[in-house]
Amino acid sequence: MYAAALKPDHDRYGVVSDPEKGRTGMSVGSQATPPDAVIMAKLVGRVAAERDRAAYRILFDHFAPRIRAFLLRRSLSPAQADDLTQDAMLAIWRRAESYDPAKAAVATWVYSIARNLHIDHYRKAARASRVDLKDPSLLPVEQPTADELYDRSQSVDGIVAALSGLPDEQRLVLDLAYMEGCSHSEIAERLGMPLGTVKSRIRLAMDKLRISLGETP
Amino acid sequence: MSRRGYILEDSWYLDHVVGAPVTTGQDMLLRAHLELSSDAKARAEAMERVGGAMLEVGLQEVAANDFSLSADHIFALDEARSGPAAQMPDEPGPVTGDMPDCFPQVLQDFIAQTGRPIRWEFLGPGLKKAMLWTGDCDDRLWLLRARPGVSIPAHGHAGTELTLVLQGSFLDGEQRFCRGDVEEASPEVEHDILIGEGEECICLALTEGKLRFKETVPRLFQLFTGL
Repeated sequence: MYAAALKPDHDRYGVVSDPEKGRTGMSVGSQATPPDAVIMAKLVGRVAAERDRAAYRILFDHFAPRIRAFLLRRSLSPAQADDLTQDAMLAIWRRAESYDPAKAAVATWVYSIARNLHIDHYRKAARASRVDLKDPSLLPVEQPTADELYDRSQSVDGIVAALSGLPDEQRLVLDLAYMEGCSHSEIAERLGMPLGTVKSRIRLAMDKLRISLGETP
Repeated sequence: MSRRGYILEDSWYLDHVVGAPVTTGQDMLLRAHLELSSDAKARAEAMERVGGAMLEVGLQEVAANDFSLSADHIFALDEARSGPAAQMPDEPGPVTGDMPDCFPQVLQDFIAQTGRPIRWEFLGPGLKKAMLWTGDCDDRLWLLRARPGVSIPAHGHAGTELTLVLQGSFLDGEQRFCRGDVEEASPEVEHDILIGEGEECICLALTEGKLRFKETVPRLFQLFTGL
């Protein structure tokens, strides 16, 4: 279901669903299957159309911890991550109508909101005079091992399953890029590998994922 | 069936999609390319879907600790901040000098923000260049304007060079690059470029390090042109 919803041409609110089902993924840190992406799209639609607070609460419980986890991976302090999570969740509440279910899954829309807030954040930080790198609150949090990531991937299907099917070396490269926001040259530096090796790992990984998305590589 | 355009290696789109801190030059070239090439846009969108999946599985136990935000906070915040909608960024002011119609919107905005008109300089017979941006590591974003039929002699690069066609076309050997296409030339590759017939060719290029010409004459010529 999740993979089907990732296709850009899925039915706009076509599926009548029980919003209660959306609660399956709400407990923080649970291994439960994330709510169906189509239901998520429907919930965002209700927020956009009716300012439906109950619908928003389900979205909040599902995405707020995920946005925060993502921001912590991007070397933000817990306080900064909280601030940006708040900004992202406020954007979801206020600008729900900007979500286009024909274009992407809600998770993809949320990813782009969080990513853009982080870009704004580091551009502002670069303009600001100086950052104290010794401040313990600015140190990155502990990262999950590849095994932990692998375990979490098991509970969902589609592209998430395809991600878990990648060789460790390819998944690691994607994880550093998507979650930590490393450029491909930074990844090469981090892993002490030639740039060409990183590029080919990215290419191989994306080719496999594209096949799972039903696209031609 | 429409022709499949020339697009870049996945790693360039990935940098863009994940919001990696790249140079202004790389950011601008990628955004201009994505605006003009539907093939590139489709690829970047597929990569963004992977980002959604990564977000779904990226939940860590550590994130659960002392997480105090709730939906009620958001509702309260929304009411407290309600009133006029969030301010839009200032519209870029008008810019003097010629801005060719073929420029993608992101490039027009970028040039408008610099507040300086484009200054075309002589680069060679039938060739003009205009520098847009110079980075810390000698990387440059610049515009090339070339008369149809002109050839650019064999040259290599100290670093990677990305060339995006905005108007017209050029040939590198058998390959023809048209509007929206990007050619990625790696440092070790020497190439000859022939500007396509018909329209004047305008390109946006990102060059890392100096160009290296094989022949002496172009090398002398390089002294004057600063490339």
